[in-house]
Amino acid sequence: MEKIYWQSLENYKENQASVLEKREPVPEFSIEGLDESEVKGKSSRRDFLKMLGFSVSAVALVSSCQMPVRKAIPLLNQPEELIPGIPNYFASSFFDGDDYCSILVKTRENRPIKIEGNDLSPLTKGGTNAKVQASVLNLYDDARLKNPYLNGNETTWQELDEEISAQLSQIKASGKKIVLLTSTIISPSTVALINEFLANNPHAQWVQFDPVSMAAMRKANDLNFGQPVIPNYNFAKANIIVGFNADYLGTWLMPTAFTKQYAANRKLNGGKRNMSRSYQFESTLSLTGSNADYRYGIKPSDEGVVLLNLYNLIAKSTGAETYPTEASPIDLNQVASDLLKNKGQSLVVSGTNDTGIQLIVNAINHQLTNYGKTIDLNTPINLKQGDHEAVEALVKEMNSGTVGGLLVYNVNPAYDYYQAEAFKSGMEKVGLKISFSDTMNETAKLCTAVCTNHNYLESWGDAEPIKGHRSIIQPAIRPIFNTRQFEDSLLAWMGSNIDFSSYMEKNWETEATDLGWFSGAFTQFWNQTKHDGVFSYPINTTEQPAFAAQPLKLTKPAGNGIELVLYEKIAIGTGKHTNNPWLLEMPDPITKATWDNYLCISSKYATEHGLALEDVVSVNGLFEIPVLIQPGQPDGTVALALGFGRTDAGKAGNNVGQNGFPLMNTVQGAPQLAGKVVTIEKVNGKTYPLALTQMHHDMEGRPIVRETTLPEYLQDPYSGNEQHLFDEKHNVTLYSKVQYDGLHWGMSIDLNSCTGCSNCVIACQAENNVAVIGKEQVRNRRIMHWMRIDRYYSRTEDNPEVYHMPVMCQHCDNAPCENVCPVAATNHSTEGLNQMAYNRCIGTRYCINNCPYKVRRFNWFEFTNNNKFDFNMNSELGKMVLNPDVTVRQRGVVEKCSLCVQRIQEKKLVAKMENRELREGEIKVACQQSCPADAIQFGNLLKKDSAVSLMVKEERMYHLLEHLHTLPSTSYLTKVRNTEA
Amino acid sequence: MIINGALKRNILKNQVLTRISILILLLFSSPFINSQTLEDEKNFQQCKACHTIGGGKLVGPDLIGISERREEVWLIKFIQNSQELIQSGDELAIQVFNENMKIPMPAHNLTDDQVRGILAYIASGGKVAGAETAVAPESTEASSTEMEAAEETVKLLAEMKRDSRRNMRSTFIIMVVLLLISLFDLVVTKLVKARWIHIIIILTSLTIVGELIFVEATSLGRQQYYQPDQPVAFSHKVHAGQNKIDCQYCHFTADKSMYAGIPPVETCMNCHSQVKKGKKTGIEEIAKIYAAIEQKKPIEWVKVHNLPDHVYFNHAQHVNVGKLECQQCHGEVEKMDEIIQVNDLSMGWCIDCHRTQSVQFANNKFYEQYTQLHQKLKNGERSAVTVLDIGGDECQKCHY
Repeated sequence: MEKIYWQSLENYKENQASVLEKREPVPEFSIEGLDESEVKGKSSRRDFLKMLGFSVSAVALVSSCQMPVRKAIPLLNQPEELIPGIPNYFASSFFDGDDYCSILVKTRENRPIKIEGNDLSPLTKGGTNAKVQASVLNLYDDARLKNPYLNGNETTWQELDEEISAQLSQIKASGKKIVLLTSTIISPSTVALINEFLANNPHAQWVQFDPVSMAAMRKANDLNFGQPVIPNYNFAKANIIVGFNADYLGTWLMPTAFTKQYAANRKLNGGKRNMSRSYQFESTLSLTGSNADYRYGIKPSDEGVVLLNLYNLIAKSTGAETYPTEASPIDLNQVASDLLKNKGQSLVVSGTNDTGIQLIVNAINHQLTNYGKTIDLNTPINLKQGDHEAVEALVKEMNSGTVGGLLVYNVNPAYDYYQAEAFKSGMEKVGLKISFSDTMNETAKLCTAVCTNHNYLESWGDAEPIKGHRSIIQPAIRPIFNTRQFEDSLLAWMGSNIDFSSYMEKNWETEATDLGWFSGAFTQFWNQTKHDGVFSYPINTTEQPAFAAQPLKLTKPAGNGIELVLYEKIAIGTGKHTNNPWLLEMPDPITKATWDNYLCISSKYATEHGLALEDVVSVNGLFEIPVLIQPGQPDGTVALALGFGRTDAGKAGNNVGQNGFPLMNTVQGAPQLAGKVVTIEKVNGKTYPLALTQMHHDMEGRPIVRETTLPEYLQDPYSGNEQHLFDEKHNVTLYSKVQYDGLHWGMSIDLNSCTGCSNCVIACQAENNVAVIGKEQVRNRRIMHWMRIDRYYSRTEDNPEVYHMPVMCQHCDNAPCENVCPVAATNHSTEGLNQMAYNRCIGTRYCINNCPYKVRRFNWFEFTNNNKFDFNMNSELGKMVLNPDVTVRQRGVVEKCSLCVQRIQEKKLVAKMENRELREGEIKVACQQSCPADAIQFGNLLKKDSAVSLMVKEERMYHLLEHLHTLPSTSYLTKVRNTEA
Repeated sequence: MIINGALKRNILKNQVLTRISILILLLFSSPFINSQTLEDEKNFQQCKACHTIGGGKLVGPDLIGISERREEVWLIKFIQNSQELIQSGDELAIQVFNENMKIPMPAHNLTDDQVRGILAYIASGGKVAGAETAVAPESTEASSTEMEAAEETVKLLAEMKRDSRRNMRSTFIIMVVLLLISLFDLVVTKLVKARWIHIIIILTSLTIVGELIFVEATSLGRQQYYQPDQPVAFSHKVHAGQNKIDCQYCHFTADKSMYAGIPPVETCMNCHSQVKKGKKTGIEEIAKIYAAIEQKKPIEWVKVHNLPDHVYFNHAQHVNVGKLECQQCHGEVEKMDEIIQVNDLSMGWCIDCHRTQSVQFANNKFYEQYTQLHQKLKNGERSAVTVLDIGGDECQKCHY
């Protein structure tokens, strides 16, 4: 019965070995990671005395200096809504071409400092993901261009406009084509504008491009339903979810919205007795796979076979036509019977860009009568409109010289198109190349002109991510640089004298009036929409389009060999934000790696080929890359993350990892992520260091993550958590328990909801000014994140069960760290907070050593204004993201989670000023506010009806390492897997 | 009436009286009672900045026929201190305040009779029968002399305070006396043979040097009595003291935000669009406001009260919730021409106050959740709840 939990393969093998022999525990901090000079020290006694003398005289000199004169400069005219010291929130939307999220932008003194989820959005419901959280840092990226560029030189907008207008009319006269190459555009107003632009320029053509295309799904739906759309999914209504290489909790379509739905249907709070069950068939261990109740590793070439077998099993019982196929490598009877039991309440999705596979998926969903219930074709998702065939045709035309002008907006095909070389050579034959990038990226570098775009936090715009759901993008700051948004550039060249914000408003006015979206004055409707950030209008069609069956057949699977699986990391995605140091340093939820991509190989492959972690291999002779042995990686496959290997991203993202886009598989012209057969050769004797945070938060095999299965839980709510009752009984003490009056802050984390997506890690980093320390220091086990997600494995290394556990300071009432501080820099408050006073800390690190949770972080270096840590805190621009309410810590002090004390104090003050008690749920800590799974609750433990108190009352509640009697204020709820006993 | 009486006095007598009255003012700081020559017309000078008689609205309303429109008792109160009347909840006063863009009328140090005189002057349409204008400049001069003298006093007081903190005169005298005695003994008498004398002298010197180091070191980074020059010779004494403008009229975010807020230039313009000349500084200083508006360049004030970066201080908490007077931390600002930091703003100073200051425990519903403390109050186990009792000395109330 005793399960073995392990964090890494080394750990796994160790556990097995330890049965035979007791081994010395690996020290938490090892001196081996240090340079020789750091170990021995560079200075002699004489040097010490010299330095002492110098510092004393320096102190004397400095202290005799005058205090600096500080200025207080008021505004000339202070707008009523701008009060220094009080944040303003603007509703806006994040859309980077791939991912959509409705957000609130928190601004202080007119500068955005934090992104929060927008509770009013019916889609994302206040959730965000790590990319969205980190996007505020992109605004303060030093790589942003400060002016428009013409022929590689900075220029003015006037000169640029004259030049471009002249060239555009020249191209018009020559009869050559002008092509507007953009990302997917989900903005109705931008689409209207582009159509106007196309009408003005009859030779112009508009092509949308997605680096990771989903065109096959649109094509399949066109064949089945006569509508080339991506339908809307509702994971909340599905009791059985079957995913095929679709990481819907991580990167597929709208992960934030899907996570909200998925988590909502898996909560067991308040006596709920049912939850959804998820199956995942995948070719690399994804976030979704790690959360699935049943996960199966398959080779990409097997996906079609498995799907067709599943279809046949279902069709057999519904009486539909079956198709001959080879046998499935996996027993599918349980999946099929589960699906058949939940007709109309199930969902099958596939992320593979293959029309044949998508047709099978559609047929299965049709057999299960899911259309109109969990799948809605009438409110399609507008993301991923990219047409890979059109892009391919464009590249051909460019190479043949028939394209006179190329306008590139929000895409970077010179980097992320799978035939980037062909694209680049085509670009040489195009006369006028205009980029609307905000940085000098790979494509912009090749362009004649760069019409430097605003950051999205400086822009106006709108979005319609799914039909019937509108969303507003509005600026939260005046443009920092001399930039102009894409739409305004188009308007300027069309000779229009209005800006895009008025164009958009006009567009909305016409549409809203026509469709009767409001009664009364438009201004009122418009102001309300801008205030809310979102607006939904009713869709009247209720009938789903008729299903036209298509013959199901499989495209020929790839030949034998190692199949490469490309995947998107949750932080980096397709590489649009690779220059964001927060995202680069965010540990991958699965591999716990930072700052790199690597080739994930299976354990079996590693043994066979004598490969170990960090050994370098060459892939197809294209590039060399280190390997990482990934449990759950199916045999015969290797996996590589996209989004790395950029050459012109900026100082943080340049030349990090290798670019996987050229290794995309193509099946009948459709670029696919998985399936390319590659040859891998070990580069003998070469290793490359990887910065993994994997081993250094090991809890040494104690019962930390507690879990049970749904049948067991229903029988006994304490199942899996028996230890809690035992510990409660045995934790006796002579001392009386701390009594709180009025306030006792506490937090509760539902491990059954947490998906491990790491949104909270970045939210915490943004809120609390957590420093980025770079790859070398992460490798030295010095990562500064106040909140980490521990990942544990259990069962086998071929297909492990995975656990995610967010761990931050537990705010123990009986805190071990507090007793050992020689200067009382860390102590307990009357509200139950474990306080850390940075200015009192002298850096003995006793507290770190005495903390059983290892949540305290030491500032080994000065991370601000230090050229050795050349990230956002070493740049005037980058420092603008810092939260002014939170101290930036200096070298030599310990820091840790404060339960966002600045937010607690802020809301307490608001309540006092309004002469009322605190409202339930009024204080939201940063990690909780934007959690897409609503896994975190925070509140007053003394209020009996507060959300957090209700969570604490659950039978699944336990404290981390509670046998130590630390009495944490943070509690966890047991994870429940919906498996058969 | 009074005017007739005033006319009869000669100039010399007038001057003597003025001088005497300055003395009186310095001694008792009582309101300056001017000679009654043309007093009403002169008194009306301060009204003229914002009001006309039959000339239409300026900053404030046209005053023609004011006595018919409003009751005299109300008018006297309003003219003497309009803000007080508004804060007391007088509906008419609030209405007038709101009608005039919420620009406060400064308080005036006028007696009831003086106000009546002004009202009579207004009623007569701004004319004085057979007025002698020669007296007016003389008295203006006198009043400015008076103010300068008063200022001098405040400055001297401040300097004395500063000196008493800083100097070590007594220490110095002890040292010198000891030194002289020992020198005298060494050179002349050579009487004392005991070693302990030397030891005492050495120990005393060490103590004194040690104290000196300690006092200086703890005040490092603190700026008590910091009084920098400001870009504009703005006087809080004139604005807050004499004109009795409420502190929060200009520092209008003090009850909302962590920052009290330095007023934007447009706030100055509420009054200074009309008031173009200061009594002491003339037009030069006020012109800086206009220059700022014209050049669109805000005035760069020098911040006087500075806290270290790792301290979080919130004005709203203290002003709005704690109902503290500004003066409790900032000193008697209404008597300062140039702002000086009166308190050392050290942590000890903060905590000292937190230890003794009661919170608005009964008046603010927020504190209702502290049931145990409320119970103790009810049982009479304690008489008040101080900031300390609800965690006012904890690190993370101010450091995070």
